Amino acid sequence: MEQEKKLTEQESLHLITMMINKAKESYHDTGIGAIMWGAVIAICSLVRLSEVHFGYKLPFDIYLLTLVAIIPQILISIREKKERKVKSYDDPYLDYIWLGFGIAIFLLIIIINNIFGEWGSWANEFKNITGKPASFRFSEYVAPLFLMLYGLPTFITGAACKFKPMLWGGIFCWICCIIAVYTPIKIDLVLTAVSAILAWLVPGVIMEKEYRSYKKEQAKLNV
Amino acid sequence: MFKDLDPILHSQLRLAVMSLLISVKEAEFTFLKEQTNATAGNLSVQIQKLKEAGYIEVIKQFKDNYPQTICRITPAGITAFEEYVKNLQTYLTNPK
Repeated sequence: MEQEKKLTEQESLHLITMMINKAKESYHDTGIGAIMWGAVIAICSLVRLSEVHFGYKLPFDIYLLTLVAIIPQILISIREKKERKVKSYDDPYLDYIWLGFGIAIFLLIIIINNIFGEWGSWANEFKNITGKPASFRFSEYVAPLFLMLYGLPTFITGAACKFKPMLWGGIFCWICCIIAVYTPIKIDLVLTAVSAILAWLVPGVIMEKEYRSYKKEQAKLNV
Repeated sequence: MFKDLDPILHSQLRLAVMSLLISVKEAEFTFLKEQTNATAGNLSVQIQKLKEAGYIEVIKQFKDNYPQTICRITPAGITAFEEYVKNLQTYLTNPK
């Protein structure tokens, strides 16, 4: 590009449009975080499903895998931030939304564990008095609560980044949330696994593909 | 009545830099170089002119022991860019 080339009005407008589009296209998430979380949640749900279906129990809670996944997520975030040459106006807001989501999930786990504690003793008491097990099972309503939360940051990110796979993924989580209210726990776990795959794993793979092709294009331009 | 187009912005490379910076919060020098296909020398000179006009701010820092230059559009730069586009539209809708 020549340094002092004077432009006609049409050329100016064309240049502005071209550069604004280039800036928009330059923002690419690597998708690795989304792939990892999609896979982790899907694996956790399917392992729990097999525990329920085949009636065995692992020596540890499979959902502890989500805590372990926080470490690579931190490393991925640091690396992505270092590699990023452009900061968009949306970046800090999306970071806060996902951080808020993480905190909300953590709080929900604490609340649910407390309810289970209270409910367990109440259900035992009920059985001792009436001789029948309680017909209400709180565990049937755990998956919808998580699916409701999964949909929120996914939908916002998809809308803010104009990335339709994630936008639809968020909506899919909410549809599964409603269905899971009326289905038994086994179906709830399948719905959670499918939601994680469609909301994070698949969009993550698409993002990663786009990121790779963008990098290739940039490498070609810089040769 | 036609207003004169801002001479600082009415130049290919400077306008390209401003158009890139208007769309993002901040960008590294290397990103601007990649997107404009300009040489580092040319780009440095034009960035300095934009900085002197108060349209952009330039932050020089170190990242992993390597120098890093970050450019960010200023409120004055946003106003000048908007005014430039408005004047451009006037020229295009009412050609001389």
